[in-house]
Amino acid sequence: MGLIAYYFRKAYTLFKGEVLVLPSRMAVLIFAISLLVLPLFTQDSYLLRILILTNIFAILAASWDLLSGFTGQMNFGHALFFGVAAYCTAILNLRLGLPPWFSIPLGAMGAVLAGLIVGIPCLRLRGTYLALTTLAFPIILLGLVFAIPDVTGGELGISGIKRLTSSRLGDYYVTTLLMLILGFVMWKITDSKKGIILHAIREDEVAVRASGINTTRYKLLAFCLSGFFAGIAGGLYAHFMRTAGPSTLEVALSFQIVIWAVFGGMVSIYGPVAGVFILFPLLEFLRFMPKMRMLAFAIIVLMTLLYMPQGLIPWIREKIEKECPRCKIRNVATRKTCRICTAELD
Amino acid sequence: MIQNIIINGLINGSIYALLAIGFSLVFGVARIVNIAHTAFYMLAAYVIYVGFHYLGISPYVAMPLAIIIVGLLSVVCYKLFINPIREHEAAVLIATIALAMVIQEALLIGFGGHYLGVPPLVSGYSTIAGVKVTNQHLLALGVAILALVGAWALLMKTRLGLALRATAQDREVANLMGMNEARVAMLTMGISVMLAALAGAIVVPLFVLDPHMWMHPLIMMLAIVVLGGLGSMKGSFIGSYILAFAEVLVVFLLPMGAYLKGSVALSIMILVLLIRPEGLFGVAFEEER
Amino acid sequence: MKKRNVVLSMLLAICLVATFGFSAWGGEVIKIGVIGPMQFTQGEGHWNGATLAAEEINAKGGVQVGDKNLPIVLIKVDSNEFVSLPDATNAVELATSRYKVNYLVGGFRTEAVLVMQDIAMDNKTIFIGCGAAHPKLCGKVKADYDRYKYWFRVTPINSRFLVKVDFILLGMVAKIMAKQLNIPKIKVAIVAEKAVWCDPIVGIAEKNLPKMGMEVVGVWRPSPVATDVTAELSAIQSSGAHIVFTSFSSSVGITFAKQWGELKVPAAAVGINVEAQKDGFWAATSGKGNYTLTINTYGRVKITDQTIDFFDKYRKKFKEAPNYTAGTYDAVYILAEAITKAGSLNPDKLVPVIEKTDRTGASGRIVFDQTHDVTWGPGYVTSVGTQWQNGKNMVVWPYNWKGLTYEGAVPYLLPPWVVSHYKK
Repeated sequence: MGLIAYYFRKAYTLFKGEVLVLPSRMAVLIFAISLLVLPLFTQDSYLLRILILTNIFAILAASWDLLSGFTGQMNFGHALFFGVAAYCTAILNLRLGLPPWFSIPLGAMGAVLAGLIVGIPCLRLRGTYLALTTLAFPIILLGLVFAIPDVTGGELGISGIKRLTSSRLGDYYVTTLLMLILGFVMWKITDSKKGIILHAIREDEVAVRASGINTTRYKLLAFCLSGFFAGIAGGLYAHFMRTAGPSTLEVALSFQIVIWAVFGGMVSIYGPVAGVFILFPLLEFLRFMPKMRMLAFAIIVLMTLLYMPQGLIPWIREKIEKECPRCKIRNVATRKTCRICTAELD
Repeated sequence: MIQNIIINGLINGSIYALLAIGFSLVFGVARIVNIAHTAFYMLAAYVIYVGFHYLGISPYVAMPLAIIIVGLLSVVCYKLFINPIREHEAAVLIATIALAMVIQEALLIGFGGHYLGVPPLVSGYSTIAGVKVTNQHLLALGVAILALVGAWALLMKTRLGLALRATAQDREVANLMGMNEARVAMLTMGISVMLAALAGAIVVPLFVLDPHMWMHPLIMMLAIVVLGGLGSMKGSFIGSYILAFAEVLVVFLLPMGAYLKGSVALSIMILVLLIRPEGLFGVAFEEER
Repeated sequence: MKKRNVVLSMLLAICLVATFGFSAWGGEVIKIGVIGPMQFTQGEGHWNGATLAAEEINAKGGVQVGDKNLPIVLIKVDSNEFVSLPDATNAVELATSRYKVNYLVGGFRTEAVLVMQDIAMDNKTIFIGCGAAHPKLCGKVKADYDRYKYWFRVTPINSRFLVKVDFILLGMVAKIMAKQLNIPKIKVAIVAEKAVWCDPIVGIAEKNLPKMGMEVVGVWRPSPVATDVTAELSAIQSSGAHIVFTSFSSSVGITFAKQWGELKVPAAAVGINVEAQKDGFWAATSGKGNYTLTINTYGRVKITDQTIDFFDKYRKKFKEAPNYTAGTYDAVYILAEAITKAGSLNPDKLVPVIEKTDRTGASGRIVFDQTHDVTWGPGYVTSVGTQWQNGKNMVVWPYNWKGLTYEGAVPYLLPPWVVSHYKK
């Protein structure tokens, strides 16, 4: 009894110390809670469908950021992982009859394999060369998909995949929970020792090498991790849409992912998630002006890049939080002194 | 058979060369990866279509007009959207993607998804070495070669060309030497897009116009530029012929797999990159300080 | 700065509430959702055909349901299926759960329709397909009748019959060529865009053409959006082909016809070329697509008493000839007539009535078979073969086929340069 109370008190202190102090973390908490309790207010299937897709794409965008934002390996063919996992999941489910609990992780492993295959040639490339090469991979795979229509269904794709869960509400909770959990995991990865090394590789690879770290291994690790998470998103997509087709490998999808992530803010896992949550429903909302839809979307992106080149969330964060000059901890902007080291915040 | 391959390869290669050289130029000089490059090419084609169909201007007049208009437009876009964020390379890349999408959507709104065409400048065909080639294709080849020679002359023989090449080699030192780096970048953008617009003008009577026609040339052009080495004119030039011949070879030797020509070209690119990461003629950049 | 943010976010909130609070209209009307790629000609065809039908029906007082007369209200839903599959599924969801449409017509891209069909069946909404021709769609009706019985298909003819007509046209041209030009054995070059719907056609052609007394000299598979097929055309010419058997559904159809006409390749072009069905084909190929023969659904001939009327009305109102997606015209009429007959809007009551449809529509006599697919055959829907002859798209088949000729059809013409090439 006393032990449980102890844990509760510990959790509360942690909560007060870590979450309540920063408006950005409060916002994340409120966001997560509101997502989870939404079905209590409305169970409109249209709204839930949009949110489910948003969750799936949020996982995808966050996985991109893990690779390209943190490790600096600009990946313009992220749709490859998504598509490979979607197809693997589809084939495993349809031909072998595996239920979603198995087919999705196995499909994600397929994407990890793809990640290795892509990562190895890309080890020696840098910057723009890397971006353009990664662009090529989904296109080559697309050619392959059309070349073996008996296995992949050609341009019709594979359809008739089993549902994710038996109800729309179930789907919603599965995807929301997965999004929150995986997002948190990805965020923790970036905060861990491995994550710091990845970040360092982005800043100055030569220095990291000089410190005795095997950058090749870490770069491949980044590709595989990113591939895994993107693969989960791909598997979820295949089971939710009940079809996996060449549209999962399109160049346009890769570009979309980049746009979402950059709009929301690169080099932060929550940035792309926020980006997807703002842009995807917005695109759907703009359905009312079908002709102007994509145009408005593209213009919004251009404006963001002009005025908030770091992304939306970092820009907002700049406004509501300040960094302490001495201990580099973030504080609420309204504070006069740092909460940890009591240095003056100007 | 061989004649087919050679002639078709030459024609396709020249058109790709025009696109690739422009792209390479703007990357080499201003370090801008302009994804909207082929979108401008498409825009020029549509401007000519509009001029011909709605304003009744003869294509001979519409083409130079389109080139100038699109070139000016690109400079305006550069000033408004790209110049302010030139320091963040990633942001520039995405800004050009967004720009390309804006152009595509604007054209979709204006013309719908319909397929449009412009009649050829010269009709009929000629038989060269037993191969039937349309006269328009020959004209296209001739103009493309002229343009390439003109671009080479501009780069090698004029002071402006000297400034461009100098800036491409080392931005800061060129600035020190009195070449206004910002101006040079702007001019390069204009010239490179004008080259793309010229490619569009040549291609308009040959191809079908639709708002998505910029995607495939974009991919081929990226493959060519990466293969030849980013920033290297010579590399782009040779790379475009290599990949164009690869495409034509696939069509002839593997008629069942003609749709694979894009994939084959890209695979070649990746193979070369595995062996030589900076492309055939590229310069291995030091990290920019 | 802060105040502006507050105002902006309030505006955004209002907008969001407006969207999600948007509820369907009340009042007694019949809501038919027209779903298709509205930015493209196929979706426009869907919308136009349905509009024409709805206006005509409403002008006559609406649909009689029991002792009431209800107007038809069309709801345009853009599936954007060419660009984005999630968009298409969102669109169907929107139509059924938010707009609460009673029925759906339209659909085009098979990959998307397969998924849209599922969502409609989940909601027990009657969905009449007007665009996708894959046999799998109606195959599902056979496999799981209770779930898929709400699905019907009105146009175009099923791809199995499409292939049949395709070969009938090929045979017709081959016979004319053999007779007019004294060619003992006709050589055929198969050119089909790289798409799954063409694979069976290519396979069947390779097997059956030798049995029909013809020789297959090569198979070419360009990309559906290829911008240059001169390489393929050169190769076809070197192979000595007399006929080019085409299967195109996308822009390659225009590119091919344009370059074929420009190079004056000595082979007749016959087969499926969806772009050649449209009015804009002539201008898009700058007239070089002359003499292209393709399967079509509508032509300005007397397929039934309704056809020419429909054709002219459509052309007058929308300034272009109807394409097969305008089959929504017949679909809306079928729904209206079934509702009147059943005296109810209930889908379960309507399905058996629709199954017994026997409508003299614009594309032919529409009767559904056991799998809810449109029946093919002389006296039913046969589709037509149209050939561009000097700026006009003329119906050249059926012309003395099994004793059937639609009034207004003309004989097929061989391209003059083909004739002069072989008459030497």
